[in-house]
Amino acid sequence: MKAFLIAVVAAVVLATGASFLLAENQRFAYQAFATSGARVSDPGTNLVGPRWTGDIKEPGKAGHKAEAGS
Amino acid sequence: MARMKFLCDADRCIECNACVTACKNEHEVPWGINRRRVITLNDGKPGERSVSMACMHCTDAPCAAVCPVNCFYTTADAVVLHSKDLCIGCGYCFYACPFGAPQYPRVGNFGSRGKMDKCTYCSGGPEVDLSVAEYEKYGSNRLAEGKLPLCAEMCSTKSLLAGDGEMIAQIYKERVIKRGYGSGAWGWKTAYRETIAI
Amino acid sequence: MPMRRLTSLFLLAATLALTVPAVAQVRAPDGAPNPTASSVNEEMLFKQDPKIHGRISIPNATAANLIQPQGREWREFRESWMPWIGALAVLGMIVALGLFYFTRGRIRLEHSEESGKKILRFNSFERFSHWMTATCFIVLSLSGLNYIFGKRLLMPLIGPEAFATLAQYGKYAHIYLAWPFMLGVLFMLVLWIKDNIPGKIDWIWLKQGGGLLGDAHPSAGRFNAGQKMVFWMVVGFGFAMGATGIMMIFPFAATDINGMQIMQVIHSLIGVVFIAGILAHIYIGSLGMEGAYDAMGSGEVDLAWAKVHHDLWVKEQQAKTASGPQLGRGQVPAE
Repeated sequence: MKAFLIAVVAAVVLATGASFLLAENQRFAYQAFATSGARVSDPGTNLVGPRWTGDIKEPGKAGHKAEAGS
Repeated sequence: MARMKFLCDADRCIECNACVTACKNEHEVPWGINRRRVITLNDGKPGERSVSMACMHCTDAPCAAVCPVNCFYTTADAVVLHSKDLCIGCGYCFYACPFGAPQYPRVGNFGSRGKMDKCTYCSGGPEVDLSVAEYEKYGSNRLAEGKLPLCAEMCSTKSLLAGDGEMIAQIYKERVIKRGYGSGAWGWKTAYRETIAI
Repeated sequence: MPMRRLTSLFLLAATLALTVPAVAQVRAPDGAPNPTASSVNEEMLFKQDPKIHGRISIPNATAANLIQPQGREWREFRESWMPWIGALAVLGMIVALGLFYFTRGRIRLEHSEESGKKILRFNSFERFSHWMTATCFIVLSLSGLNYIFGKRLLMPLIGPEAFATLAQYGKYAHIYLAWPFMLGVLFMLVLWIKDNIPGKIDWIWLKQGGGLLGDAHPSAGRFNAGQKMVFWMVVGFGFAMGATGIMMIFPFAATDINGMQIMQVIHSLIGVVFIAGILAHIYIGSLGMEGAYDAMGSGEVDLAWAKVHHDLWVKEQQAKTASGPQLGRGQVPAE
């Protein structure tokens, strides 16, 4: 039982470790598939929001266009 | 309802990439993500042709079939859209897509790969039409405003055609008959299982 | 001189006569040159190569593929074949085990004068490695099956939103728990490979039905032929799942889209067979045989059980320790 519990804990710890290690090696599309040639602002502030989730902190900025169109 | 399609007349495309730029600007598409792209075949050789390609909004779309969370749906205009709220970023649609349309915010296929992004035929997503939430996730909804996709609308040589399949096929047919040649509707056979017979 | 000029003129005329009709053929009806005559077209390119590839100006080389219709075959496999193959493998094994249970029944512990005495079968590190791999495997198999059956079985029950959230966490679990799983497989390979080399004795064990199909108890070392098969299945499938999975976790690192389609096919096919195999392993290690679970539970098995099922191993162990391997409950080795 003890070995089993340690095994479960170890699996969770290793999986968490793997998630951090993998996240370190994760690359954004803007790093991989875009050149720095014509950037005028920081990447990730458009459309999908800074965290690339679709949640934008300031909805007014991105939303004015859509509101104007409706 | 119309059956919306894209048609790229490769004999007119001059690889100016205006369609790509128009798309990126209209929808504020992030860097590195290309909902539309221009591919040049036989580059630098005689008979070189460029084709503008995006999601073709296939009939019986393979992406929708393989999606493990069924996040795709087809609108009344036969546009293939998806819900970013349901998408888990597994990459299966990218395996299935013949046109390489699905894009992801991150490269590695681990947890935080992000939500898939692709051409919406300028018609947003499952959110309320023209809402802020829809704009933030999918970009603008020109179809709801009664306009066609911007890439085709502003194509400088009118190479890229968007609209009802039969209508754009008719325009293309007339062109081919008038000028006497045409290299065909690229991708139609794969996307719609039909070609334009002239 | 004039004769020579005449000859060359004649030659020129002959050449023109031969070439002019050919040029005329590639002209449009109004006499304009036809640029498509020499241009590429879809049909021709598909004859040269199964996918149409060009040049692209964005720094994403994989976007240079214009059309690659191979996804259709992959879709056919994933949507039309895989659900049936998966259901057949998993449900087939459950039915087979059920039938076995109701015909053969639970294999009972045979009592002898040595019943009650214990012998250490798996030390704590062996049990740790086993359970780490096992817990990861269960989560991996459930989240893996979710990719195939989730939208068919679970989604109609709990609704798309709840299902998408569950599938998202399932995907995280699948990708992150894969690493301790692979480590566990590696540990078990190192720990047990020396006891799992196939030999003549395994052939005899198999011919006698392994004690599963009859009342015979063919002799076996630390692991019998059945257990060796489980071991090699776990190692082989484990490595295959790891290799194909890593290629999907890192898109385009080693293969292109077609490669990843094949990796997904291999991954899913091996996956369901692996699940079926492990179901049988779970059955015989718990419900199917009395006394077997203790080996991985407490690590100590009943000496009577060990003598019946792993006679050669018990002899070996008893020869190793002069005092005999019998350990009382209180004398558990350092854990």
